[in-house]
Order: sequence, then C-alpha cells, then structure tokens
Amino acid sequence: MSNNLLDIVANVMEVQVTQIDDESGPETIENWDSFRGLILFEELESKFNVKFTLNELLNIKKIKDIKNILSVRGASLNG
Amino acid sequence: MQSQVEPNLSYFIAKARSIEGRTFQKKIKVAILSSYTINGLEEALRVKCAESEITCLTYICGYGQYNQDILDQSSKLYEFSPDITFVIIDTRTVMSTLFYTPYAIPVNDRRSYIDKRVADFVNLIRTFKNRTDSKLVLTNCSIPTYSPYGICEGKSEYGLREMVYDFNAKLSDVFRSDPQVFLFDFNSFVSKYGEVNVLDYRQFLVGDIKVSLSHIPHLAEEMMGYVKANMGINRKCIVLDLDNTLWGGIIGEDGFDRIDLSLKPPGTAFVEFQRMLLALYQRGIILAINSRNNEDEALRAIREHPYMVLREENFATMKINWRDKISNMKEIAEELNIGLESIVYFDDDPINRELMLKAIPQIMTVDLPDDPSLYASTLMRINDFNTLAVTSEDRKRGEMYRQERRRTELKNSASNLEDFLKQLEIKVTMKKANDFTIPRIAQLTLKTNQFNLTTRRYQEEDVQMFAHDQTKLIGCAQTKDKFGDNGITGVYIVNKNHADKEWYIDTFLLSCRVMGRGIEEVMLGYILSKAKEEGVERVKAEFIPTKKNKPCEQLLPNFGFKKEGQQWVYTYHVPIKQTSHIELNED
Repeated sequence: MSNNLLDIVANVMEVQVTQIDDESGPETIENWDSFRGLILFEELESKFNVKFTLNELLNIKKIKDIKNILSVRGASLNG
Repeated sequence: MQSQVEPNLSYFIAKARSIEGRTFQKKIKVAILSSYTINGLEEALRVKCAESEITCLTYICGYGQYNQDILDQSSKLYEFSPDITFVIIDTRTVMSTLFYTPYAIPVNDRRSYIDKRVADFVNLIRTFKNRTDSKLVLTNCSIPTYSPYGICEGKSEYGLREMVYDFNAKLSDVFRSDPQVFLFDFNSFVSKYGEVNVLDYRQFLVGDIKVSLSHIPHLAEEMMGYVKANMGINRKCIVLDLDNTLWGGIIGEDGFDRIDLSLKPPGTAFVEFQRMLLALYQRGIILAINSRNNEDEALRAIREHPYMVLREENFATMKINWRDKISNMKEIAEELNIGLESIVYFDDDPINRELMLKAIPQIMTVDLPDDPSLYASTLMRINDFNTLAVTSEDRKRGEMYRQERRRTELKNSASNLEDFLKQLEIKVTMKKANDFTIPRIAQLTLKTNQFNLTTRRYQEEDVQMFAHDQTKLIGCAQTKDKFGDNGITGVYIVNKNHADKEWYIDTFLLSCRVMGRGIEEVMLGYILSKAKEEGVERVKAEFIPTKKNKPCEQLLPNFGFKKEGQQWVYTYHVPIKQTSHIELNED
C-alpha cells in the first residue's frame, strides 16, 4: 500500500492520480462528498497513524490542507 | 476459500462498484432500515455476498424513515419485497433525552417509558409481519458504559443501564419463538470491538454515524451470518490435523507423555481450542480427523491422554495414515455424505494448507496463526456455522454419526442386505406437525436434496400454516433402530381434495442418512393407507428431477404409480407395498 497522499486520495475518490494535485478538494473532485471525505480521513488516520480533530475535519478544503496538518503532526509523506 | 482479516471500508466501496452487474445463481433481497446514517454498509454487504456467490439486491431506507417505511403499506420497502430486512436501532434513539438525563424522571416513569418503547417496537414489527414474509432481524441496543451516577449506578433502582438491559430482554422474550423475527445482539457486537471504537465521536457529530466507518465491514460480516443461514449456506464439518493442531508437539517423536496438552501452559492453549470445538460439536457441527501419523500412537493419545477434551466418540470419522491429505479429505466428504463446500479445515502446516487450498478451493482452509494461543479465537471468528434454528436433531448429530459407524460395521458383517436390514430392528413412528416437529420439518424441506420428490422449500412459517390447514395433511417420520434414535428423518405434505376423492403429494422427502433401508416405503405406504381410509380413490404425485434427486426416481413406479403427463397416479389397482422388516407406529 502506498503512503503517497495523492495515491490514497485518488484511490478513495476513484479518480486518476494524474487528475489531482494540491489544489484539489471537494470543490473539484465530484466523488468527494461528506461520506467519502470521512472514508478518506479514516484511511489517512490508519496509514499515517494520526488522529484529526473535529475542526480539522471540517476545515479541510484542499489536499494542501491535509498536507499541512500531516506535516505539523510529523507524519512522513512520500512525494 | 481462505479465511481472512477484514479490509477497510474503502476497499468495499471500490469493489462494490467493480462488481456491479455481476450476477450469480443465488439471489437475495436485503432491506436495511436504520435509525441513523449507515453509509457503506450496503456496499460491504454486496461485496461479501458476491464473495459467497450471491447476488445481493439492496434497499436502504431514507434517513430516519424506518417507521414510515414499515407503517406505510405502499412504501418502497414493500414494493421491493425483501427476503431479509435488518432494522438497526440505537440506544440514543430509543432512549431519547433519557439517554443523557435518565434521572430527570422518577423510577416509575422510567419503567413505563421502557414498557412503552418495547410496545412501540413490538407493534411496528407486528405491522411488518402482517405485510410481508420477509425475515426480520432487529438489533437490540448497546448498554451504555457511562452513567452520570458513576459507581452509584448499581445502587439506583431501574437506572440507565438497567433500562436498556430491560428493553433488550423484553424484546428478546417477545420474539424468542417467532421463526420470522431474529434479535441481533448489537450489544455483544459493541462489546466485541469496544464502545470507544464502534462510536467515533467525530463521525457521530459530523454525520450522525453511530457505527464508525472502520467498523462497518465488521457489522456487515455479522449480518452475513443471517444472510448465509437464510440461503442455507453453512459449514457443517470441521476437519482437524493432530500434531501441533489438537495438541502441541509431534506424537510420533515427542511421545504420549511429552506432547503439550495439559492445564499448564503451553498445553492450555490446546485444551482451550478443544473445548471450543466440543461446544460446536454439541451444536451439531461434525468433527473429523485428517492426519499423517501412525494410527496406533495417535489413537492412544485420543483415547487415553488425560487432557484430551475430544475423544474418539466426538469424531464422525478419523483418517490417520500416511496417505496424502487431499485423498483423505475427499474420502471424509464421501463417507459423511457432505459437500466439500461445507468443510472447514484446520492444519498448523502452511504447506498442507496451501496444497489443500489449491486442490479443493471449496473447503475453507483456515489461515491458522503460528501461535497456538490464538487457535481458539481464530475458531470463534468463523461465522459460517449458522443455521436459522438449532433443532434437537442438530444437537444429537454427533451421536448419530457414531451410531452410523456401528451400523456400517454391522452391514459389513451381515451376509446380505436383507439380513442387515432385519438385524437393524427399525421402528418408524409417524408424527403430526406440532410445535416440537415443525422446526425440523421446515429444516428438512430446506436442505434435503437427494431423496426429495419435488424439492419444494418451505420456511417454518409456511409449515405452521400448513399444519392448521384442513385441506392439507402434513407429518413426519421418526426413525429408530437398535443402535439408536435417528430423530425425524422423513417429511410428507399432502393436499387433500375430497370432492374429487383425490390426494396430491406435494412434498415427500427422506434424509440421506437413512436412505435405502425401506423407510421411504413405509412412509409412502402409510400415506396411501390413510388416503384409502378416507375414501380416496386416486393419489397423485410428482417427481421433479434435479441434479441431485436421482435416488428417489424409482420410488413411484416401484409402488405401482402410473405416469399421466407430468404426474404419477396410484389408483389402488395393485395392493399397497408392504415392508415387513420395519415396525410402524403412529403418534
């Protein structure tokens, strides 16, 4: 299983990894509804061994936001 | 197939999409009515069904619409016409504000609140039952671990926890003997995985999700227990290796006194595993041995070792030899007359497992952990032994297989078949359909394939209806011989048409266990005599061929039935065939 954030997002949202970048989010990815969003966080939490807070969950608008939170928590991101 | 760990929900979501449009021969319609958001459950269930080669069509009620769906006669739920309906409720919904502030009202009001809630659900379910034949699986409520009273909770009369406990107990009592309604012990589900894991507060607060997404696959797995049981898909037999499986070490090398099997560790792990196996045996699961060993050494351990929990009598058959395990396995299935798809195989050796998995993929080869302390819990995770009811025949099955072994010995020593049948001293008792026999009658119609003239499947509710129907004659045959009681092994259902002095045999079947002993002839003779007593002139019957029911093809012609179109007709033109070696009684 890849620890690459974009791969994980692409996998959960069922889109090509080439179609997404740091600016992608619920606004740009059609499948990214609130349910898929929760599944994504679930995946990220188990892959990176972190826990998001309620406010973090509510405020993530772009993949960039996830990257920021993960790096603040010291999770190791490949790529 | 191999037993496996549960993947994440994202796997099921993606997989559900990729299997869309794939269909299997077996099909089930499942409705899920829930008091909260339960996204993803449908996908997990469909994928799990596909893994068991079942096409699963689903209906999910709108958010919090379960009441309306059941009450409204013209709802989409009834239009969908499910085979199984899951009603998933939660403690917060049932308790309403009392979940948070149970002590805001006096104890008597708390009692009447619960009684009222139980009555609400009972009424709801009765309404449902009046409108559909669907099985209904209702969850109970998880009992809160927190109480505002803390350590004084137990001192408070009819406190929060007792309220929920009482709600669960009362629902359970109402539906205990109802064959259409099942209580899914959701409280145990929560205990198994832990309240803190099952409820993710963030998901609950964001989306009213009361089973966290990480636990939806586990919930779906538990639900599969009902789905598979309803489809008659279940494992019936556990085949076991001996060395490092039932005991630690190798009997041929370590010797009788040195194998690990005792009340001291590590021997305790094997004792624990054997105790769990014994409990399954008592529920009706057949046990057998498939082991490469010197037979005398292994048998000595089984018979004489002080800490063996399972003994020779618990095993329906034992293949202890140096032949390959695949051939042994095929022989076991043949000898016990069970399908390979109903076998679960335990072996500590990964190479043996790999070989078995390749050679006979229908067998569930358990991915047994290296650590024997995990054997018992591995066994407990297998959710494939379910049937919708446990009958007294199930509980006696192990004993019956032991008797069968003795019958085979007699058969081998008797000079001919006639002699053998005479020596068996068979007694058949014809019984009516009543509360005691109805569950077994339904079970036999659902699972008998070989000696079954019409292979019509009936649920317990159907049989109950037939039993009260004046135009039907329904009964069963209990068989005994000198080795023991076979229990109820035969079933007949007859439609009476007295105006035309004609009966029609709708169902006639015999368990394969007792085939070929003349019991079918006694039963058919009994029906024909009954008909004659009531002035019937023609008895009609049918043989509907299937892949499996060839063994009963000749029954009707042998009795002098004549073919008329699709049906066979007996008109008393020849005397009713007598079977002298069997004693017939009526009860």
